[in-house]
Amino acid sequence: MLRYAVERLIQAIIAIFGVLTIVFVVMHLSGDPTLLLVPQDASAEMIAALRHQLGFDRPIWVQYLDYLQGLAHFDFGVSVVQRVPAIDIVLSRVPYTVMLAAGALVVAIGLGIPAGILMATKRGGWLERLLTAIVVTGQSVPTFLSGIVLIFVFGVTLRWLPTSGSGDFASLIMPSIALGAISMSTFARMTRISIIDELGKDYVRAGRARGLSLGAVVVRHVLRNASIPVITIAALEIGNLLAGAVIIETVFAWPGIGQLAIQSIQSRDFLVVQVIVLLISFVYVLTSVLADFVYALVDPRIRLVR
Amino acid sequence: MSAKFASIAAVLLALTASTALAQTKDTLTIDLPNDAATLDPHLQWNTDSYTIYRNIFDNLLTRDAKGEIVPQIAKSWKYLDDKTIEFQIRDDVTFQDGSKLTAEDVAFSINRIIDPKLKSPQLSQFDQIDKAEATSPTVVKMTTKSAYPALLAQLVKLSIVPKVYVEKVGDQEFNLKPLGSGPYKMTNWQKGVQTELEAYSSYWRTKPPFQHVVFRTVPDVSTRIADLKTGKADLIREVPPDQAESIKSDANSQVLSVPTERIGYLFINAQAGATKDVRVRQAIAYAIDRQGLVDALLEGYGKPVEVLGAEPVFGYTDKVKGYDYDLDKAKELVKEAGAEGATVEFLTSPAYSRATVEAIQQMVNEAGLNVTISSSDQATFLKRRQGDPANAGGLAFGAWSCACQDTDGVIFPLFRTGSIWAKYSNPKFDEAVDKARVILDQNERLKLYEQAYEVLRDDVPGIGLYQAYALYGANKKLHWTPTANEAMFVTDMSWQQ
Repeated sequence: MLRYAVERLIQAIIAIFGVLTIVFVVMHLSGDPTLLLVPQDASAEMIAALRHQLGFDRPIWVQYLDYLQGLAHFDFGVSVVQRVPAIDIVLSRVPYTVMLAAGALVVAIGLGIPAGILMATKRGGWLERLLTAIVVTGQSVPTFLSGIVLIFVFGVTLRWLPTSGSGDFASLIMPSIALGAISMSTFARMTRISIIDELGKDYVRAGRARGLSLGAVVVRHVLRNASIPVITIAALEIGNLLAGAVIIETVFAWPGIGQLAIQSIQSRDFLVVQVIVLLISFVYVLTSVLADFVYALVDPRIRLVR
Repeated sequence: MSAKFASIAAVLLALTASTALAQTKDTLTIDLPNDAATLDPHLQWNTDSYTIYRNIFDNLLTRDAKGEIVPQIAKSWKYLDDKTIEFQIRDDVTFQDGSKLTAEDVAFSINRIIDPKLKSPQLSQFDQIDKAEATSPTVVKMTTKSAYPALLAQLVKLSIVPKVYVEKVGDQEFNLKPLGSGPYKMTNWQKGVQTELEAYSSYWRTKPPFQHVVFRTVPDVSTRIADLKTGKADLIREVPPDQAESIKSDANSQVLSVPTERIGYLFINAQAGATKDVRVRQAIAYAIDRQGLVDALLEGYGKPVEVLGAEPVFGYTDKVKGYDYDLDKAKELVKEAGAEGATVEFLTSPAYSRATVEAIQQMVNEAGLNVTISSSDQATFLKRRQGDPANAGGLAFGAWSCACQDTDGVIFPLFRTGSIWAKYSNPKFDEAVDKARVILDQNERLKLYEQAYEVLRDDVPGIGLYQAYALYGANKKLHWTPTANEAMFVTDMSWQQ
């Protein structure tokens, strides 16, 4: 158990370090923020002078070593655009991202799993066809469109919900639905497939033979067995929800990590991007480790040893 | 009878109540596309940042509604010689902590922004200044490296910061908790969300019209429009022309538009590729239907121009004519140059309207050239556009404004030999703009710019397409006349029922 944890930890550190290095090199090779910072009438000498002041004229490996040295002291550097410590900028966005991801996850799991169960158990009926239609819609409508449609219908026309913002619970509802819709479809499909898979197995027939209703078999036995693949998906989806809400955050003016990531990449605000990358890769690693532990909890046959 | 009186009284009461309500609109909410990058006015100079911080700070000089440079913190000024200028500073101005603004603060502000240690991106706008010193509590003497006529236009952008406070809290803290002498003080800055301001009751110039102002960050234009229609926002910035109709159709909203000093222009590389031949460049100029661009893409929110300049900019001339749309002549010139079917790369980035770029591509193709569009992100675009001529593409579209209303800030950086934007060199042009930069006689300068524009017309290293209009969406009750330099001062606004 301990050995497993240590191994996973070492793997995780190597993965995060690798990602950081790749991002550092790619970002620096594609130019630096100086040109975006100076006024348009700046002369070549002025640009060179600012580049020198900001340290972007040094060889890339010097900048990299400098960066690593800072990291070793938990110094993530100061944003060249905002002139604020990069870590502060990113951390101030984390609560919003977590809130939105949680909202979307409630939508995705709360609707997706029951829909998947119904689709698996009521096969061939109108309910399955209806749910399939909803799931396919949720999956295929791009978020920039669904976001704007939601704003137009519930914000502008009906005036039930605020059109943008992040100050209160009401403003969380629409972005959660828009963001949760895609994950909802994933959950519904995965749940459906793994339940259908399980329904063909002997223990289900045995349960039915003992006189249990289909519903009872599903609730008491199938769900637990069908949950392993769903947990895997959930772990990946949490990562996606935390990192991939760029468009939704832009449409709803929701100040999360995704919006910040795009803005920082566009403005070549290297150090902020690095902190975001660090955070996101950490979350991915953490959720996948957590998923492993949850497997073991749900299914004692799975042991955390090799 | 008494019932009638009572009802009249009730109506009157209701009326006074409603007008009282109207006069005390407490909070004005403005949606901007981005958050401020910094609120330290000596660091970032981009529209979203200065839109907010110029309401917190006063500037040394400012522009009136007509675009003339007028006093603000400086009461008056006079040139002691070509390189020395003396400013009289007001003595009735206080910072928002109650401390008095003196000449020391003005000198400190100038010396701070030109100090390389601050690493200010704005340094290049003030690098002609040598130093400033306070010679008395109300007098500041400033020296420039050479005679520099654009100095006053640049000083319009200089915010005055409090010396004592900045030195006490340090640069980083000052950026997060700015303190100025302007009409509004910052109360809360939720990064990425909104900036909240509160009226400074002892403001020297006027009584701020709203007790609170909130600048929200709303990146998506459809969302900004939805905010306006539902009353969540009272004013929104950056409305594209094709969305104006949707705002006009709303009963509570209006479109505010104003011709600006911003010029839509087409850069044509004179030093590399097929466009190295002046006939090809002239052909491109003939091939472009400027009125067509304005009608089709700007929905009329723009005005075709003959030169790369606009009326609100000093040095603009209507005496130099451009190339009228003439496709036959364009084809002929391309044929003459032997450039039929030659490939011309059109550089662009998502910062520029894709529709405009494609429309220009089509127009130029009709003249017999083969235009290919290369789109990249803004940083890469700038790197190529400002780099080596051979790699800078043949064409690029831009919308230029120096926010200084002086031609020195337009054609000098765009076309002067050695400038990062110039892929062009002509000693005759250089001589004219160099000279116009260092003489103070305004009539003489006008003549020089006319000469410069004539050279540009013949050489076509770029052409002016149109004068852009700024478009804002606003609540119908908001009274405000936007200005040519795209500034947004809350003190110019009011609220009426």
